[in-house]
Amino acid sequence: MRLDFVRMFVDSTTELFQTVLGPTVGVKSISVRPSPVAGRDVLTIISLTGDSQGRVIFDMDLFTAMQLAGCLLGEPSPGMTPLVRSSIAELASMAIGQAISKINDSGSKLRMSPPIVITGANLVSYDQCFETLVAPISTAYGEVRMNITIQDLN
Amino acid sequence: MESLTERGSDSQTPMTCLIVDDSAFARFHLKRLIDSFENVLASEAANGNEAITEYRRLKPDFVLMDIIMPGLEGVETVRRICESDPTARVIMISSISHREKVEEALAAGAKYFIPKPVTTDDLRRAIDEVLRNRREKPEAQQ
Repeated sequence: MRLDFVRMFVDSTTELFQTVLGPTVGVKSISVRPSPVAGRDVLTIISLTGDSQGRVIFDMDLFTAMQLAGCLLGEPSPGMTPLVRSSIAELASMAIGQAISKINDSGSKLRMSPPIVITGANLVSYDQCFETLVAPISTAYGEVRMNITIQDLN
Repeated sequence: MESLTERGSDSQTPMTCLIVDDSAFARFHLKRLIDSFENVLASEAANGNEAITEYRRLKPDFVLMDIIMPGLEGVETVRRICESDPTARVIMISSISHREKVEEALAAGAKYFIPKPVTTDDLRRAIDEVLRNRREKPEAQQ
């Protein structure tokens, strides 16, 4: 597990959430878990490739997703519309993109895929038994949990 | 802050802009910012190929271009637009903003780079910068 990258992902997400969602953002205790990752109603998945590989999964309940989208869109959301899904994806993309930029500026090569948003009840991601670092981030709109798996290829 | 209304002699003519991003939310957000500026009309494209087609059709005064897009990604799209029109004014907007990627975008022909999240001031500053010393462009094809 590249804990240095994990730290950068968590820090960049916290910073972005503070910028976009407001100052009431905090990271609760960070834990390492074996696979699989248990998700909630809304998952946003970003794959990572390059010198290291892995993925970041943001999971949150539907209410939190709707609240976050409402904040980003500037108005309450009527449901899980394509624009709401897109706003959740963009939030994750900006957070991870900022970390990717710092990682690349520090000399490592890392790329990210466009985010994929999946919705459903009690979603579970069966990630090939890689250790996953879980960082719950509290916001004024509810908790967003980051599930990060990243390993060096060598 | 410098005004966007410094547009040459004919200030009644609206400026035109093409927003290129695969994210519906990003396009929504940028259009919302553009709409807050007086006299700027925005069109949208959701991918690189659509952007090239729309650019040829509309000949916008400037383009706002994302980098990470499925299929034809942003830097290559800029390269193709600028090859066909060296006067194109493209502002890259991306959450990916490391040195190498910014240099790649500028080498492809982009005139300015804004890291996401974009604020009104960021966008106003970038537009003013790329429109400075702009030359007359041919009319858009209908």
